[in-house]
Amino acid sequence: METDILLEIKGLKARVEDKEILRGIDLTVRRGETHVVMGPNGAGKSTLSSVLAGKPQYTVTDGSVTFMGRDLLKMSPEERAWAGIFLSFQYPVEIPGVSITNFIRTAVNSKRQALGEAPLSAAAFLKLMKEKMALVQMKPEFAKREVNVGFSGGEKKRNEVFQMAMLDPVLSILDETDSGLDVDALRIVAEGVNTLKTPEKSTIVITHYQRLLDYIVPDIVHVLKDGRIVRTAGRELVAMIEENGYDSIG
Amino acid sequence: MTDNIIIPAGDSSKLLLVSAGGNAGFPFGKEFCGYSVLTDNDFSCRMTLSDNASAEILVLILPGADSRMDFRIDMAGAGADFRFGGLYLCPDRESPMINAEVVHKMRGCSSRQMLKGIVSGNAKVRFHGKITVAPDAQKTEAYQENHSLLLSDNAIVDTSPQLEIYADDVKCSHGAAIGKLDENEQFYMRSRGIPEQEAKVLQMISFISPVMEFLPECDDRAAMSEYLEQTIRTAF
Repeated sequence: METDILLEIKGLKARVEDKEILRGIDLTVRRGETHVVMGPNGAGKSTLSSVLAGKPQYTVTDGSVTFMGRDLLKMSPEERAWAGIFLSFQYPVEIPGVSITNFIRTAVNSKRQALGEAPLSAAAFLKLMKEKMALVQMKPEFAKREVNVGFSGGEKKRNEVFQMAMLDPVLSILDETDSGLDVDALRIVAEGVNTLKTPEKSTIVITHYQRLLDYIVPDIVHVLKDGRIVRTAGRELVAMIEENGYDSIG
Repeated sequence: MTDNIIIPAGDSSKLLLVSAGGNAGFPFGKEFCGYSVLTDNDFSCRMTLSDNASAEILVLILPGADSRMDFRIDMAGAGADFRFGGLYLCPDRESPMINAEVVHKMRGCSSRQMLKGIVSGNAKVRFHGKITVAPDAQKTEAYQENHSLLLSDNAIVDTSPQLEIYADDVKCSHGAAIGKLDENEQFYMRSRGIPEQEAKVLQMISFISPVMEFLPECDDRAAMSEYLEQTIRTAF
């Protein structure tokens, strides 16, 4: 019997270096839900996505995170990816000398190996890649390009969405806290997320751009302030924040 | 191999010098992409380039190879061009030494050196690269780069680039850098499900890619890439 709950965060506290950033986060994500976490600068939005992805520089000091019944905090970044979590980075990293094809094939086959499946044959992989590139409207010539090297902001985001399409995660976490107000980039992410949406999968969008939420319509909205979630409500909360600002909440 | 080679005017020479360590599987016996391939442990080579001559020397020091490489290149003719590229892969207790001396005697010559390596375990690599530009060697362009990745606490790279410039209308630079694998890159890859060790291998392949760019486009280039990738994968 499959539980409805994908992610359960309880009382999560975390710090980076000496600074405590998350001061007790509670958040539950069920299958098929789109959550948005919004908040002013310094609220802890990026820290939350980094902790969920397992970024090394962050230390969890209290609380728990369960993903599909498993203790997420005990899992390495790659184990979390194999379990079905995908983090779309704010600043995707450049990896010169490694082609997108090589990179994503290694990722796909690593996951398959971890799950006890045989790696995809070269033909099967290329077919999958072609299909997903078309789905997210990525031009075929990008297959040969070095990962993110010389990519525009929009192209980097499209590459993130492409990876999401190839890896087929159950929970996607989109860290869109600082995309430099690149409207094209935001639109590319939104289109990708909407294209890949299914009733079994969930998304957490972490952002302060209300504009992004014109394209990705959330089911549940959380406001993060000073390391705590101060309000959880439906999508009407977005308009309230737009009108009255974060000071009016919590 | 010890050699004294004079490249006549307008001629060119391309050598790939391989110190194979114990590696039996190096796939190119005699020729690679237009380079003559020589395999030995130690190489000592003196080359003199005449007017408009060009020479390219590539060196490959593979795991297990304790080689001594000594080069002296005289740019003795105007408009000559010399390129020196190389890769050292030292995972264990190797202690190779590379000495490359380029002397610009005549005007309008260009030389370019790009040497990269990955050093781990208790290996120690010594590189000494000296570029001398004589007073008459105006319009010289001479560049040298040596970059090493250190993967263990005991690995050592001892690099000393030197520039002695006596002409005043030249473009010269040298750079040496020693670094380790970037953790942000690793995290990005691991977050996509690429295990830590495999992520490091990809980073190492990325690191040596400028040396691969040094090679000409040719049918065998992919095979060379694959061989080096496999060597890195098993050695580090």
